[in-house]
Amino acid sequence: MKRAALLAGAGLLLLTGCYRVQKPAVSAPDAPITRGDGKTLRVFIWSEYIDPDLVKAFEKQNGVRVVLDTFESNEAMLAKLQGGGAQYDLAVPSNYVVQTMVRAGLLRPLDRARLKNLKNIAPGFLNADYDPGNVYSVPYQYAATGLAYNRQRYVPQDTWAEIFGPDDRRSFVLLDDPREVIGAALKYLGFSANTTRVEELRAARDLLRRAVAKKGFQGFDGGPGTRNKLLARTVDLGQIYVGDLLIATEEDENVQVLLPRQGTTISMDTLVVLKRSPNPALAHRFIDFILDAENGAQLSNYTYYATPNAAARPYLDDFLKDIPALNPPAAWLTDGRLDFIGELPSGRPQRLYDRIWTELKSR
Amino acid sequence: MIRRTHPALSAWAWLVYAFLYLPIMVLVVFSFNDSRFGATWAGFTTKWYGVLFARADVREALAHTLEIALLSTLVSTVLGTLVGLGLWRYTLRFRTALTGLLVLPIVVPDVVMGVSLLMFYSFVRQGLERLGWTFDNGFWTVLLAHVTFQISYVALTVRSRLAGYGPELEEAARDLGATGLQSFTQVVLPLALPGVLAGALLAFTLSLDDFVVTYFASGSGFSTLPVLIYTNVKRGVTPDINALSALLVLVTVVAIVAANALLRPRRDT
Repeated sequence: MKRAALLAGAGLLLLTGCYRVQKPAVSAPDAPITRGDGKTLRVFIWSEYIDPDLVKAFEKQNGVRVVLDTFESNEAMLAKLQGGGAQYDLAVPSNYVVQTMVRAGLLRPLDRARLKNLKNIAPGFLNADYDPGNVYSVPYQYAATGLAYNRQRYVPQDTWAEIFGPDDRRSFVLLDDPREVIGAALKYLGFSANTTRVEELRAARDLLRRAVAKKGFQGFDGGPGTRNKLLARTVDLGQIYVGDLLIATEEDENVQVLLPRQGTTISMDTLVVLKRSPNPALAHRFIDFILDAENGAQLSNYTYYATPNAAARPYLDDFLKDIPALNPPAAWLTDGRLDFIGELPSGRPQRLYDRIWTELKSR
Repeated sequence: MIRRTHPALSAWAWLVYAFLYLPIMVLVVFSFNDSRFGATWAGFTTKWYGVLFARADVREALAHTLEIALLSTLVSTVLGTLVGLGLWRYTLRFRTALTGLLVLPIVVPDVVMGVSLLMFYSFVRQGLERLGWTFDNGFWTVLLAHVTFQISYVALTVRSRLAGYGPELEEAARDLGATGLQSFTQVVLPLALPGVLAGALLAFTLSLDDFVVTYFASGSGFSTLPVLIYTNVKRGVTPDINALSALLVLVTVVAIVAANALLRPRRDT
C-alpha cells in the first residue's frame, strides 16, 4: 500500500518536472498537428445551430465523420478550450470573444487560399473591429436584437421609445444581458452601444432607471421565456434576438419582430479554427463549405438566424426574405445604426457597465 | 402516546413540498403538450417521446450516461465502502482531517471540481505526451471524475450506518472463533450492507444527474444526457427535451425511494 502511494507520488513529481520543462502547448508559435487522421472533424457549436442535413452532406462529400458538441455560453466554451480538455477543430464563438481567444493563443490564423467562397460574404461583415482583416474568424450567422410583439394584442412603432418613452401603459420584458439592455438605451439616445464615455453611460443609466420603474416592466429574460409570453399574449413587447423569435412564427404567425429605427445591437457568431486542431485542412474545407451560397442559405432556412452571406440571399426561403428584421437595410451597417457588441476595455468603462447592471438587477 | 402535528404545521409542510415539486410536475405535464414551445396547452400527445427515441444523439448520450453511472457506481461503492469501514474501525491519527478531506468533494462547488479536473487531465496528458502516449478526454476521464466525487458519498453513508456500533462487535466475533475474513463477511458487512446499497444508489443518481463535472471532464464527441439537455437550453427547451427530463426525473425518483427504503432504521436491531 505504502509502496504504491510512493510510486504514485514519484510519478506525479515526474510529471510536474516534465510539465515545467515543456512549453505550454497553447503558446507555442506553431503547435504541431497532432493525431489528425483527416477523417473526423470535431466541431464545438451552439445547440440547434446547424441543419443536420448539411452536416450529412459534408460528410458524404468528403468521406469523413463530423462530431458536433454543444455548449450553452461563450464563457463555458472558453473555459473548456482553455483547460485544454478536448481536441476540437472548429468552434463557433460570438464576435466579442474572438479577441479573447486570440490573446489566449487558442486560434490558428486562417489560410485564405483555402477559402475560395469568402467572397460570398457581404463586405459590410468583413474586416470588423473584432477581427480586422479576418485573420482568425469568418462570419457564420448573426442575430440582431429586436422588439417582438404579438400583433393580435398590440402593434408597436419601430422605435425604442416604446420602451424608453414616457408612455407607461405597455408591458415589456428586457433581455437578461447587460450589454444588450444598456446597448438598447444607448442606441435610443443616439450613442454607440460600445461607448466608453461616462456622460453617455450616465444618460443611459438614468433612462434605464426610469424604464425598470415603470409598472409595465415584467423583468429580465433570456429569450425563450419572452417568446413564450408573447405566444401566450401575456406581454406587449419583448427585447429579443430576432432568430429566437422567428422560430416561434411556426406556431403562431401573429408573433412578429421589428428593428427600432434608432438602430440596435447585433452579435455575429463566427467560425474559427483552433490552434490545437488535429485536422486544420479539413476544418478549412468545412468553413468553405459553409460559405457556399446554397449551403449558407440552407443554414438560415433551418436556424432562422440572419446570414452574412450575400450570395446566399436568393436561396433563402421566401418567408425569411420577407422579414425586414432578418435583413436590415445594407445602409444600416455603414451608417452606425447596427453596432456589433464589442469587447470593452477593462478598467473604468467595464466597471461602469457592471455597476449600471447591478443597480438595475437589484432595484 | 401519539403526538399529533399541529394542522398549521402540516399545511406549511405541504406548501413547501408543493413549492419543491410543482415545477417538476409542470415539466412532466408539458412533455405531453402538443405545442412546440409549450407556452400554451395545445392538447395531449405522446409524440415527443417518439421524437426523443428517434434522435441518435439522445440514444448515444443515454448509453454513455448509463455506462458511466453503472461502472462508476461499482468502482466507487467498493472503494467508498473500504474508506467508510476504515474510518469506522480504526482510530487514525489524522481522522478528523481525513473525514474533512472526504467531505470536501461534497461541499466544493461543482465548477471548481470540474475545472480542476480539466486542468489535471491536461497536465497529465502533457506529461504522457512526452513519453509518447496520448489519450483523449472521454469515457475514462468522465468515469474517473465521477468516481472521485461518488467515493465521498458512499464512504460517509457507510460510516454513518455503522456509527452506532462499536468495534467490540468484531472483537466478540473473533472471541467466538471467527477468522478475520469471517468476522468481516458475516458480521461487519451484513451490518454495513444497507449503508453500502444506499450509498451506491446515491452515487448512481448523482452520476446520472451530473452536468458541470461531466461537461469539463469530457472530451469531444462524448456527452451524457445532462450535458445534452443543458446545452440545449440556450434556444429554449424543446418538448422532446422535456420528455427526456421527465424520464430522468422518474429514474432518479425510483433510485432515491429505493435508497430511502434501505436507509430506514431496522426494527429488529
